[in-house]
Amino acid sequence: MTSPDEIVAAELARLSAEFVAQLPKQMRAVEDEVTAWLDRPEDPKRFEIISHRVHQLKGSGSTFGCPGISRAARLLEKRIGTYRRQTDAGKPRAAEDVESAVAGLQNEVIRAGEQSRDPEESR
Amino acid sequence: MQDVSLRKILYVEDDADIRKIVSMSLEMVGNYAVTACASCAEALQVVDDVEPDLLLLDVMMPDMDGPATLRALRKRKSAEDAPAVFITAKVQAGDIAKYRRLGACDVIVKPFDPMVLPDRIGQIWQQFRSNGYDIAG
Repeated sequence: MTSPDEIVAAELARLSAEFVAQLPKQMRAVEDEVTAWLDRPEDPKRFEIISHRVHQLKGSGSTFGCPGISRAARLLEKRIGTYRRQTDAGKPRAAEDVESAVAGLQNEVIRAGEQSRDPEESR
Repeated sequence: MQDVSLRKILYVEDDADIRKIVSMSLEMVGNYAVTACASCAEALQVVDDVEPDLLLLDVMMPDMDGPATLRALRKRKSAEDAPAVFITAKVQAGDIAKYRRLGACDVIVKPFDPMVLPDRIGQIWQQFRSNGYDIAG
């Protein structure tokens, strides 16, 4: 008979696979939202949207077996906050840091996809 | 304090996948009765029927965040005395104390292992029953 722990673990495995499968779509949304926000950084709604998405990735990455996603999202969240607090003079450099963190998250998305296709690689 | 076991949890989390796995774990592994809501508005619709023993609230949600949701729920007789636990991925130095001041009994930091969450909630409940806390923060 299947125990409650096994049922929950199986569901966690299923949701983790779904999480990884939709990461490329999430990543495209992050890229679009960051680009739109950097174009109009004064728009609080855009900041709210990107912050929320990145925060969710940070929180759910490790829960669904992708600690690299959580780490990269944490860095992006931090850099988004730094950019927002920067004076005009500091913004170009801070924008580069945000874009670099986006690229880091993109790398982790690719890695998560590869690991889900070949679990041995994650060991 | 009278020994009362934890049974009913009102859980508010906007991320559908996290909501699903946490609810499953709390119900199947922890044997709790979980009412899961995607927003403060949803929680306010059901809280009087649920009469929760404990509130489990994600901190960062669009529209109304965890602390705002707690303030709204506290206005209902059915939730005015229920201990509240915040779940958050954003923890910096001083954040835990801040959330306690906002009325949280305890804070669970994301990411967490859904399989061990029921034990953690059970510990928080026991601690609350033993020591209590200032519901108003």
